[in-house]
Amino acid sequence: MANNVTYRPELVEEGTILSVENLKQYFGSGSFVTKAVDNVSFKIKEGECFGIVGESGCGKTTTGRSIINLYQITGGSIFYKGTRVSAGTREIEEEIKAAKKAKDTEKVAQLREELRARKYDNAHKDQDLTTEIQMIFQDPVDSLDPRMTVADIIQEGLHIQGMYDKASNSAKVADILEKVGLIPEYASRYPHEFSGGQRQRIGIARALIMNPKLLICDEPISALDVSIRAQVLNLLNEVKEEMGLTMIFIAHDLSVVKYFCDRIAVMYFGRLVELASSDELFAHPMHPYTRALLSAIPKPDPISEKNRVRKVYNPSSAHDYSESKPSFREIAPGHFVLCNDPEEEAYKKEMAEIDAKRGEANE
Amino acid sequence: MEKKNAAMGTIDYPHTVGPVPEGKEVVLSVRNLAISFATDDGFVKAVRGVAFDLYKGETLCIVGESGSGKSVTSKTIMGILAGNAHIDSGSVTYEGEDLTKIAEDEFHRIRGTKIGMIFQDPLSSLNPIAKIGKQITEVMITNGNKVKKVYDNLINAELIKYKNDLRLLQIAKEEYKFIKKNKSSTPEQIAEAEAHYEAEKARLTPLIAEDKAALAAKKVEAKAKVKEFVGEIKARHKAKLNDLFAKAKEDPEAKKNLLANYISERRRYVSELKVTHKEAKRRALKIMAEVGIPHPEQRFNQYPFEFSGGMRQRIVIAIALTADPDILICDEPTTALDVTIQAQILELINRLKVARNMSVMFITHDLGVVANMADRVVVMYAGKIVEYGTAMDVFYTPAHPYTWALLSSIPDVDSKEKLEAIPGTPPNMLFPPEGDAFALRSKYAMGIDFKEEPKMYQISDTHYASTWLLDERAPEATMPKIVSTRIENSLRKAGMKDGE
Ligand SMILES: Nc1ncnc2c1ncn2[C@@H]1O[C@H](COP(=O)(O)OP(=O)(O)O)[C@@H](O)[C@H]1O
Ligand SMILES: Nc1ncnc2c1ncn2[C@@H]1O[C@H](COP(=O)(O)OP(=O)(O)O)[C@@H](O)[C@H]1O
Ligand SMILES: [Mg+2]
Ligand SMILES: [Mg+2]
Repeated sequence: MANNVTYRPELVEEGTILSVENLKQYFGSGSFVTKAVDNVSFKIKEGECFGIVGESGCGKTTTGRSIINLYQITGGSIFYKGTRVSAGTREIEEEIKAAKKAKDTEKVAQLREELRARKYDNAHKDQDLTTEIQMIFQDPVDSLDPRMTVADIIQEGLHIQGMYDKASNSAKVADILEKVGLIPEYASRYPHEFSGGQRQRIGIARALIMNPKLLICDEPISALDVSIRAQVLNLLNEVKEEMGLTMIFIAHDLSVVKYFCDRIAVMYFGRLVELASSDELFAHPMHPYTRALLSAIPKPDPISEKNRVRKVYNPSSAHDYSESKPSFREIAPGHFVLCNDPEEEAYKKEMAEIDAKRGEANE
Repeated sequence: MEKKNAAMGTIDYPHTVGPVPEGKEVVLSVRNLAISFATDDGFVKAVRGVAFDLYKGETLCIVGESGSGKSVTSKTIMGILAGNAHIDSGSVTYEGEDLTKIAEDEFHRIRGTKIGMIFQDPLSSLNPIAKIGKQITEVMITNGNKVKKVYDNLINAELIKYKNDLRLLQIAKEEYKFIKKNKSSTPEQIAEAEAHYEAEKARLTPLIAEDKAALAAKKVEAKAKVKEFVGEIKARHKAKLNDLFAKAKEDPEAKKNLLANYISERRRYVSELKVTHKEAKRRALKIMAEVGIPHPEQRFNQYPFEFSGGMRQRIVIAIALTADPDILICDEPTTALDVTIQAQILELINRLKVARNMSVMFITHDLGVVANMADRVVVMYAGKIVEYGTAMDVFYTPAHPYTWALLSSIPDVDSKEKLEAIPGTPPNMLFPPEGDAFALRSKYAMGIDFKEEPKMYQISDTHYASTWLLDERAPEATMPKIVSTRIENSLRKAGMKDGE
């Protein structure tokens, strides 16, 4: 028995910094179960900005929180820099029960070995590795403790890491405040003294001081004024360039991620329904839910708004999955859609038609 | 070279708003409104001279960053300002009455009945421990005196005319007082204002006397009609009851049902005089369906926490609609919602506006939403209006650098240019800056912007902006490229501009 944490060198070789594989995160059990994340897989390349978009409650935050290890995940695996940093055990335990019932001793033995490996990996997490993943949260007000000073809030993570050197911590805080566009004098103030945009900067500083490699931004601008949003987006872009960060950017609005992300995943009720490069997704939005999301964005253009036709997504009328079941398929290089056989064919045809039309228009 | 956006003239900002276009009827007018709040640190000057008209059947959007005074303005109209608020000047005229001057115990006639309001956070306007059905019917039942409604409707026209004429006189007087007090007024101006006031007084005094007599006469007439109306209802009730008793005497079957029939007749009779619980429920279910709440019968008995954010906002809209308001004020009703849910709520408000012939005042910080909703747009910054005009004016020929900045900071799904953030934050309203308040954050600021407040320049019959850039002495300034490119693209797409 090899007592080593599962390591997959090929992930590192291909430049994948994070690989989320069949992630499941269920809350509750039995008939009260909420499948917040249900079998989600994606890979993120080093240096890339990856967007996750979908309406409230579709499981975006849960995905982010699973990646930073805030939950014991229900099923699947998360690999960071080739090393498994999180593995779901409940799913395997249930499979063992089922195999026992079926008296499939070979499978039981196999699953037991898998369960042992997963438990081992979970118990031997490399803290230095996992602190390279940091998250900033949606609500800058709720996520800051009102009784702590800005300095305390920002250096909390350092304390958790066992770094208590006052002088060096203060220097780091001053540095990071400047990096996020605040003045070092703010360190001794309290969060309520700041505007929404400034509080979000404090939230960003708190994550950046840990020197992350992968930063998960959970709707960092949704609670902000439109005018302040641009400031925060531009700031995130700057630190991303400067610190060479890889980013996961969560939003409920496609117009925001378009600016920011190289690739975008669209999520609906715990599942990914579409994944493509940002340009490709806007050129060929295929899944009806993606189209519904796109059609809902109001543009600062009264004439086009007067003529806007909003598309409504209703899964039961949009798909007929009674015979052919859907799966996540690559319908064009790098472009994945949740669809079944007839849909796959229809999407491919439609994509060709869109390109043909565009070609004509450009001539 | 001729200036592109050359102004046609200026208006006496903030006192007036320019003429009302032909065919438009003003339902609400705000003039010279200034509100401050007493705080430990001093007076927060939240609204500093705001004036606009709301036309019948239109949607007027008020847009600006947080803290620009949008909510304070709408709360003044609703008469729900915080206790530390002080109305420094101005008026809000609705149906001939100045809403800033009516007493709290009279305000309930207007608030929630003639002017409805919905807020950003629907939870704050719902009672968490009452079933939503009860919350919807409550308003109907408390305002459910049908006899009084008949009376109010009969005298409404005369009452409004009387109050309107009274108000006109008051406005003329206030104008005169304002000019007299203003240090920069010349003796000629003061004399002119006084003459104007005297003329108005001479014209209006007999009118007001006439109105008063007409109203008194109408009241007598209305009382008689109401008496007749109630009399008929009572007579019908009596006749029906007599009929029931007579039948019961003859027919044993009818005798058996007498009590039940008696009760149902009694109920019918009461429902003619006031809104009953049963009727309120029936109407509530209808309104719930109208605002798109599925399965209203089941939902009727649920509590607010059992609803999603979007559904809660629909309930708040349902409650606002029960009173059949003339004006609906929406203060960022979709800011906390997802884009898809937001799109549904905006569609709902647009549909209800037409179906119920309401005028809508819609507050938001999102210009995308404004483009979707607005007939006309008011842009606010630091407690003042910096630009206003039709949606076409403000989106396709924006004139104030603040409007330019707002436009350039929103993401555009059709392009990938870098966003131009507005630097800095809105000013602290304890110390409002002098001159053009936006100058501190504007790359277009000139020396004079820091010293003197710009007048309201008229750009067209419908379009006004308060910026020194429109002064004839100002150098030519063009809007940021990101904005002009977008406008060109939009217009080209709409076929309104060929490759000139
Ligand atoms: N700790 C939890 N316990 C139970 N249910 C949860 C918990 N966290 C999230 N959920 C549920 O999981 C689903 C997904 O939630 P979330 O990930 O927050 O969505 P999003 O971030 O996309 O709005 C929702 O139905 C939510 O109610
Ligand atoms: N009760 C209050 N006491 C003190 N200041 C207030 C009060 N209410 C509002 N203000 C201030 O008035 C200004 C305008 O606020 P508001 O109208 O709510 O802005 P918004 O445009 O975001 O709706 C802000 O500076 C705000 O802080
Ligand atoms: Mg979330
Ligand atoms: Mg507000």
